[in-house]
Amino acid sequence: MTDEGGPVADGDRAPDAADDDRAPDADAARERGRSGRIAAVACEGADALALFALDTGERLGTVPVGSHPVHAATAAGRTIVATMGERAVTAVGPDGAVTRIETGVLGPSHFAAADGLLFVSCSAGDALAAVDPVESALVGRVAVGGEPHEVAVDPAGEYLYAGSRRDGVVDVVDAAARERVASVDVGEEARVQGVALSPDGRRGYAIDQRGARVVAFDPAAAADDGGDSGRDPAPDAVVRGAAVGDDPYDLVATDDRVLVPGREAGTVHEFGPNLALTAVHEGFSRPVDAFRIGGDWWVLDAADSQLRSLDGDAGATPAPGLVATRVGDRLLVSHYDDDLVSLVDVETGPVWTAESPAYPFGSVVI
Amino acid sequence: MTRDTDPAADRPADADGPPADTTRRGLLRAAAGATVAGAASTAGCLGVTTPANVAAQYEVSGNVAHFVGPEWLADNREDAVVLDARSAERFRTERIYGARRVPFDAITSRTQTDAGAVPDTDAIAAAFGEAGVAPDDDVLVYGASVGSRVTRTAFALAAAGHVGDIKVLNGGLSGWNGRIGTGSRGAPTATDYAPDPAAETWVTRDWLAERVGATDGDGPGLVDTRVPEAYLGAPGSDALDPDHDRHGHLPGALNVNWVGNVAGNRMTEPGRLVRLYEVDAELDRDATVVVYGDENVDPTSTWLTLRAIGFEDVRLYDGGFGEWANADGDRGRYPVETATSVVIETEGSVGGGDDSGDFSCTG
Repeated sequence: MTDEGGPVADGDRAPDAADDDRAPDADAARERGRSGRIAAVACEGADALALFALDTGERLGTVPVGSHPVHAATAAGRTIVATMGERAVTAVGPDGAVTRIETGVLGPSHFAAADGLLFVSCSAGDALAAVDPVESALVGRVAVGGEPHEVAVDPAGEYLYAGSRRDGVVDVVDAAARERVASVDVGEEARVQGVALSPDGRRGYAIDQRGARVVAFDPAAAADDGGDSGRDPAPDAVVRGAAVGDDPYDLVATDDRVLVPGREAGTVHEFGPNLALTAVHEGFSRPVDAFRIGGDWWVLDAADSQLRSLDGDAGATPAPGLVATRVGDRLLVSHYDDDLVSLVDVETGPVWTAESPAYPFGSVVI
Repeated sequence: MTRDTDPAADRPADADGPPADTTRRGLLRAAAGATVAGAASTAGCLGVTTPANVAAQYEVSGNVAHFVGPEWLADNREDAVVLDARSAERFRTERIYGARRVPFDAITSRTQTDAGAVPDTDAIAAAFGEAGVAPDDDVLVYGASVGSRVTRTAFALAAAGHVGDIKVLNGGLSGWNGRIGTGSRGAPTATDYAPDPAAETWVTRDWLAERVGATDGDGPGLVDTRVPEAYLGAPGSDALDPDHDRHGHLPGALNVNWVGNVAGNRMTEPGRLVRLYEVDAELDRDATVVVYGDENVDPTSTWLTLRAIGFEDVRLYDGGFGEWANADGDRGRYPVETATSVVIETEGSVGGGDDSGDFSCTG
């Protein structure tokens, strides 16, 4: 899930951009952005970060960031963009200065902030790259299971939980030591996509896309039971597994419920914290995410031009949405296939809709 | 078939059989004549292969280094040391007359350093010394064709700092029409081969670790010479080494299977190799290029091939993917990639069999 503003690391400070490239459009964005916040959207098909005035949707400019940008995070006053087609991430300063930060491994995908660093999963390899956003430098890599994808952080910010799409595990990483200390065996054939922890940190959850199931694990047991060099699975970490709709990808975990959209099935499975099934919500086209706004759960659908609540309410969107970032009680929605970005109020509909560079994807508000 | 024995060979029972000047060329000439005669009495449409065109098909033309044809050997037979890269059994059965053999275990030996495994040039040099090779000898290496045992032997010479020329016989033994030997061979007079390690011919695990991810930009070219399934770490594939903790390839490596260097018993046509590596793989001949495989034998085919077609700075990762994949300690320093697919398709084929100097299952 991408929350408002994305993960924020400690130690914000003004960047030193003396040696950096500066994107020409960024100056205009900076000037116009002074009156309000800016929505920064990674546009995968344009290799650019598109900037919009959050209050009006006015297109402020684009910043070239490298091949296939997919997600972004803010840290140390900069916007860090994961460029999946590179062995690097790109830092964009408030003045538009662009700095390339080498990761060494292809496929930077998802961010997690801990211990003053940004950890980014290198999804074409078997590592998390640890980036110092203040220095705009790689400080090291942590070996994890192959093709890591989503990364969750415990509430204390001490441990990272990285799902492996290749090895069927969730690796537990000590953020300060930058070392894998344990792994949770989700299943030999599992393809782990989404990973999340409950807000209180008592439960962890992993989505096995291939097996169409969700697995609950005990984060504390996983961290304590690591074997040799953290490579052996912690034997007692898995609490329970449950079937979900076909082609699950991501999940939402709160202290009292777990929601898992099944994209192919068009369902949202709702569980209690230990995966006791509460309900199966049907009738969606291609549900991809869910957001709690105004006391209701609203489901984003990648094949339907509306947000639908689990209670049956609906709100129109300009086009199907693939990714959204919550901004207060509104959603900043990326309409990937339609090259549109919109700010949507679930009660009143679209606040604004703007054309974007090709394939808008993950976003942050800065 | 009648064969010569070498002058220094242990004398087997049949060693006095054929006259010393009997050559395969002569035998082939006789066989060709018989074929022609037979054809004349039948349909008259059988193909005829003469010693001259057998040899000619393995000649090397153009600006190609290291690889030479049978004519070169015929012209330099008295001046060059000839090393047989095949197994001892094949060596005893048939070899180029006067050839010597070096134990292959020594040729592939490695020693550990803090930076990772490197060629054990002391062991390699000692083996060449026992074979009577001196550092300034011009050496020709052959196998049944031009496979990776042959090229590993050539690499071992280079790694030991060999001063003399290093040649490889295109076509291998099958292209040689000259005198052949058989039986056990007496030990040649040993030399004191003092190695002068040529560290510029190899790289270490840590050398690569310091450049992880830089190989697709301004850094060195990096070529994974294994089959695509191994490069991709294809789950369930027989190509995956079960002794490896991890599968895939070094970050930034592209895949060109070394078999594409070989067409039957000879090197692939040089123009085609240039297209393969410079056009398809987009390698820069003026830059450093590192090659690797699972171990340290098969990738030497690409090591020598690239040098032969004009690449100036080609280096072997002697530790190989096995060392990288099983690295102890901080594996974040030695990452592997899987979800990439820069595979350059090749169409090569390797003649002969295992242990013949043509093919190695260890690389």
